[in-house]
Amino acid sequence: MKTIDELAEAVLPRIAAAKDTAELEHLRVEVLGKKGSLTALLRGLGQLAEEKRAEFGQAANSLRDQIEERLAERREHLAAAELEKRISAGALDVTLPGRTNTVGSQHLISRLTEEIVNIFRGLGYSVEAGQQVETDYYNFTALNTPPDHPSRGLQDTFYVVDRSGAQAAISGESDVVLRTQTSGAQIHVMEKQRPPIYILSPGRVYRRDVADPSHLPQFTQVEGLVVDKGISFADLKGTLDYFCKQVFGAERLTRFRPHFFPFTEPSAEVDVSCGICHGQGCRFCKGTGWLEILGCGMVDPNVLGFVDIDPEEYSGFAFGMGVERIAALKYNVSDLRMLLEGDMRFLRQF
Amino acid sequence: MRVSLRWLKQLVKLPSDIQALTSRLDLTGTAVDAVIPLGDGLEKIVVGQIVERERHPDSDHLWVTKVDVGNWALGPDGQPERLQIVCGAQNFVAGDKVPVALVGAILPGGLTIKKAKMRGIESRGMNCSARELGIGSDADGIMVLPAQAPIGLPIAEYLELADTVLDLEITPNRPDCMSMLGVAREIGAVYDEPYGLEQRFAEPPRAGQAADLLSLQIDDAVRCPRYTAQVIRGVKVGPSPQWLVDRVTAAGARPINNIVDVSNYIMFEYGQPLHTFDLNTLVADSAGRRSIVVRAAAAGEAFTTLDGVRRELDADITCIVDGNANGGRGATVALAGVMGGLDSEVSDQTVDILLESAAFSGAHTSRTSRKLQLFSEASARFERGVDPETCLLAAERAAALIVQVAGGSVCADVLDLYPAPLQLPTLKLRGQRLAAITGAPIPLAEAASILQRLGCTVTLAGSSGSAAGTPADTPADPAAGAPADPAAAAEAASLDVIPPSFRPDLTREIDLIEEVLRIWGMEKVVASLPGGRGRLGRQTLEEERRQTIGQSLRACGLNETMTYSFALDGDVEKLQMGFAADEQAVQLINPMNAEQSELRRSILPGLLRSAAYNLSRGVADIQLYELGAVFMIGESEKLPREPDHLAAVLVGSLHPPAWNQTARAADFFDAKGILDCLLDQLHIQKTRYLAVADASLPWLQAGRAARVMSGKRELGWLGELDPRVAKKFEIEAAVVAFDLDVQALLNASQAMRAYLPVPQYPAVQRDLAIVVDDQVAAERLEQVMQSAGGALLADVRLFDLYVDEKRLGAHKKSLAFSLEYRAPDRTLTSEEVEKAHEKLVSKLVAATGGEIR
Repeated sequence: MKTIDELAEAVLPRIAAAKDTAELEHLRVEVLGKKGSLTALLRGLGQLAEEKRAEFGQAANSLRDQIEERLAERREHLAAAELEKRISAGALDVTLPGRTNTVGSQHLISRLTEEIVNIFRGLGYSVEAGQQVETDYYNFTALNTPPDHPSRGLQDTFYVVDRSGAQAAISGESDVVLRTQTSGAQIHVMEKQRPPIYILSPGRVYRRDVADPSHLPQFTQVEGLVVDKGISFADLKGTLDYFCKQVFGAERLTRFRPHFFPFTEPSAEVDVSCGICHGQGCRFCKGTGWLEILGCGMVDPNVLGFVDIDPEEYSGFAFGMGVERIAALKYNVSDLRMLLEGDMRFLRQF
Repeated sequence: MRVSLRWLKQLVKLPSDIQALTSRLDLTGTAVDAVIPLGDGLEKIVVGQIVERERHPDSDHLWVTKVDVGNWALGPDGQPERLQIVCGAQNFVAGDKVPVALVGAILPGGLTIKKAKMRGIESRGMNCSARELGIGSDADGIMVLPAQAPIGLPIAEYLELADTVLDLEITPNRPDCMSMLGVAREIGAVYDEPYGLEQRFAEPPRAGQAADLLSLQIDDAVRCPRYTAQVIRGVKVGPSPQWLVDRVTAAGARPINNIVDVSNYIMFEYGQPLHTFDLNTLVADSAGRRSIVVRAAAAGEAFTTLDGVRRELDADITCIVDGNANGGRGATVALAGVMGGLDSEVSDQTVDILLESAAFSGAHTSRTSRKLQLFSEASARFERGVDPETCLLAAERAAALIVQVAGGSVCADVLDLYPAPLQLPTLKLRGQRLAAITGAPIPLAEAASILQRLGCTVTLAGSSGSAAGTPADTPADPAAGAPADPAAAAEAASLDVIPPSFRPDLTREIDLIEEVLRIWGMEKVVASLPGGRGRLGRQTLEEERRQTIGQSLRACGLNETMTYSFALDGDVEKLQMGFAADEQAVQLINPMNAEQSELRRSILPGLLRSAAYNLSRGVADIQLYELGAVFMIGESEKLPREPDHLAAVLVGSLHPPAWNQTARAADFFDAKGILDCLLDQLHIQKTRYLAVADASLPWLQAGRAARVMSGKRELGWLGELDPRVAKKFEIEAAVVAFDLDVQALLNASQAMRAYLPVPQYPAVQRDLAIVVDDQVAAERLEQVMQSAGGALLADVRLFDLYVDEKRLGAHKKSLAFSLEYRAPDRTLTSEEVEKAHEKLVSKLVAATGGEIR
C-alpha cells in the first residue's frame, strides 16, 4: 500500500505541474503505459499474498482512475491554453493586400450598348444587327435620302470597290458603302417581316470624319424602329423619355426639338437636361442646360412605301443615337479616340 | 445663317427677352447655334474732340494732338484733362470729333492700347480708323465723326453698334429660312405676328431698253428654271453708306463696294442670290448687243473664278456664258449659282451693270460646290432651292437700291426667261390623320391658322369659304356649319392646302402635319407608350451565348477593347497570313489615310497595335480581346462576308506582382487555360488542340501553335507569336494570341448538359509516373489511359512534368498522373483497382514505349 501512496504522491503533483500536453502525454506513458510504473505495480499483483491482493488491486485501480481523471482535466486545460496561444500567434495584418484575382473589364461602348439594348428589350424590342458594308440602296435610297444629298458625297461617306462590275447608279464610282447608319438593317427587316415591328439595331457605323476628341470615323449607333397600328408621336415621346430616364437617371428631363431627317417626318432631336447644372446652364452643356443625345421621328410614309407597307394602315417611329456620344456625356470621356486605343489604363477603369 | 436682331426687329415684332426667343426657336425647329453680341469689345473707346494739332518735332508725318474725352481723363485736381495723343493720320483738323481708344482699350484686332512714347513724345491713347474699330474697311485715315457727336459717349453707343446676332442652324429642307424675310415669317408664324419688309426704296429713274443691249438663252430648263436680267447704267462704284455696311457685316459678309454690297444685302434680305456683271466686259456683237447663255460646261473647259483660282470644269457644271466671246463660240463668265469670274467682276471703273437674278438647280449647284470645294452664300441658297417666283421681285428691289446708293438708271424692261413655271400642288390635310400621327388633340382650326401663318393658302375642304389671305386673316373654322357631333365632324374634316412657292419641301400631307406639330409645340404632346399587341422582347440563344463569351473571357482576366475596322494592306503581309481567292480585302475608294485603305481581314493586327501602344507607354501587362467583324469578299461579289471573330493577345503577367504572388509572363498554357474555360462555359465538347506542324500559321512561333478544334470542326487557332513578326509591330515582348470564328463557336455550343448523378461511392486514387520520348504527346498518353482504364477510370489528371537529361536521358520526359477509379454502384475493392490499374499501366507502356518510374 505504501508503494501506491508513494506513487500517488509522486505523480499527482507532476500532473498538476505539467507545462504542456506533450509533457502530460509523456507522464501518462511513464505511469500508465505498457512499461508504466502503475502498470508495473498492477502486474506485480500476482506475487502478492492472496489476502492482500484484493485490497492492493482496489487501491491501484482507484489510483489509475484518479490519475486518468487528473490527466484529462489537465489535458483539457492545457489544450485550451495552447489553442489560445496558437490563435493569438496566428493574428494577421488584415490590411495586407489580398491575393489578386484580376478580372477583366467590358469595353465602355459594348457595355453601354448592352445596357441600351436591355432597356428596349424590356419594352418588347428585338435585336437585328445587319451588315456593315451595305449597298447605297439600303443605306440611303430606301431611307428616303435624295440622290444629291450631301451625306452621299465622297466627302462624308466611305465607298468601297464594287467587285461585281455593276455600274454605279448614284454616286459615281460605286454603289457599295460602309454604312453611315444602322437603319439599313431596319429596311431589311421591313422587307421580310410585316408589322408589328419593334426592333433595335446596334452596330458599327462609319463616317468620313477625321478622328479628334469629339469625332471618330468609326463609331457605334443604336437605332430603333417601331411599325404598328396606331403609333403616334406621343408614343415616340413616351418611349424616348422612358429611355433617357433609364440611362441618365429618373430626375433628368427631356425635350424634343423639331429637326429634319430624310428618314422621318415629323422629325426631332432629343435633348436631356444637363446632369451637372440640372438645366441651369454650365460649361458642360455650353450654357444651354441641355445635352443633345439622339435624333428621331415618325417613319416617313415614303420609307414605308419602299418596303410595301401601307402608310395609311400602319405608322411608326424611328430613333437613332450614337453610343460614343452617350458615353462621353455619361462618363465625361474627354477624348473619344481613347475608345479605340486599347490603353489598358483606360479600359481597366470600367 | 446669321441674323441681326436689330435688322430683324424692323421686319417682325420680337419678344423683348432674347432668351425666350431663342428657346422658342429651338423648340420650333430653328436651332440657335450661338448668340453673338456685337459692339462688345469696344469698351474704353469713346467720342473725343481734337482741340489742338501740332507737328511732331521729329517727324514729318506724325501729329501731336490734344484730345478732349470729357470725364474719361481726369487731372490730379479731378478736373477733365486733355490727352496728348500722337497720331499718323492726315485727314483731320483741329475741332474734329473722332473715336479715341483710351489706355487699356482692346481693339477688335486684339491690339491693346498702352501709354507709349512715339519718337520721344508721350502718347496716351489712339485716334481710330473705321477698320481699327472693326466696323468698316476704310483705313486711309481716322474716322471723323459728325460735329454733333457728344464728347465722352462710348463709341459703340454712339454708332449704335450694339447688336445681337443669332447664328441659326437652318435644316436642308428650309430654303425659305435662308433670308431675313424668311426668318421674320417663321417668327411671325411662331408668335402669330405680322411681318414684312421695312424699307421701300424710291422707284428708280428708267432709261433705255435692256432688250436692245442684251439677249438671254437657257439651254436646259432643268439646270435653270428661271433667269432674269436687269441692266443698270451710269452707276458710280464706291463705298456703301454706313447702314448698308452695318447690315452686310452683321450678316457675316465683308463690305466690298456699293454694288456688291447691295446684291449681298438683297440676298440676305430675300434669300435670292444675285450676281452683278460689268456689262461692258462682255463681248458685244456687231450690233452692240451682248448675249448671255446658260448651258452645261464643256468637259475639260477651264475657268478662273473671282478668287483668282483656275478651275477644271465638267459637263455637270452649269456655266453662264458670254455668247459672243471667242468669235461667237462663247466663253464662261460665271459658274451658275456658285461664283462669278475674275474678268467680268464689278470694279471701280464699272459703269454699266448686268444684274442676274436666277433660279439654278439645287442638285447641280450642290455637286459643283462639292466638286470644286467652292462654298458660297449663294451656293448654300441655290443648293436648298431658291424660289423662282421671287427672282424678279428681288431684282427690282436690288436695282432700286443700286440706283439709290450708286446713281444711274435702270432699263425700262426686264429680260425674263421662265421656261418651266412652278406648279403648286393642292394638298389635303385630314383632321383624323393629323390626330393619328401626332397623338395630340390639335384643332383643325388651329392647324389652318398655323399653315396660313407659314404662307399657305388654306381652304376647309367641302366648304366654299377660302381661308386664304394674310396671316392676319381669321382662319377657317372647321366646325362652321358642321353636323350635330362636332368631334366626329372634326375627325372627318380636312383642309385643302396650297403651299407657298418658297416652300418646295411641302409636297405631302405628312409635310403639313410636321409644320403644324412643330409650331403648335412638340412639348405639348402628352407622352404615351405604344400599346401594341403580340410582341415580346426576346433575347435569342445566340445573343445569350455571345454574352457568355464576353463574361467568360473577362472572368479569366481579359479586357475587352475595340479597334478600327480599317486596316493597312501591309498588315496581313507582316503576318504572312494567307487568304483564299474568295477572301480578298474590301478596298476603300476614299479612305481617310493610307493606314485605313481597306477593311480588316483579321483582328490581330489591330490588337497588336494596341499592345504596342501600351508597351510604348510603359504598360507591360496587357490582356486584350475584341469580338467584331472581319471582312472578306470574293472576286466578283458586290458585298463581303462579315464573319465575327474573337481575338485576344496576352503580353506580360495576368496578375500584377504582389507580396504573396509572383508575376509571371503569360504563356501558351495561360491562353489555353482561358480557352478551355471559354469552351467549357459554351458547353463545347470534344475540344482538341492540334499541334501545327506545317507553316500554315506562319505568324506563330513554330512548335507553339495549335488549331482549336471541337471534334472535326475547326474553331480557330492559338499560339505564341513568332518574335520576328512581333517585332514588325514594334513589340519586343512575348505575345500569346488566339483567334476564333464566333459562328463556329456558336455552332459548336451545345444545349445545357443533362444532370449526372453525384458519385455515391468513394474513389480510389493511384498515381503513376511514366518516362517517354519527348515526341509522345500528353494527349496520346491520356487517350491510351482513358481507353485502357475502361468504365472504372473516372478521372485522369497530369500533375507533374519533368525533364532532366542526366536522370532521364536525352529527349525524354517524365509525366506523372493522378488517376481516380470509381464505380457508380459499389465501393471498389483493392483487388479490383489493382487489376484495372495494372492493365492500364501495361497497355500504356506497350502503346507508348515508356517506362514506369
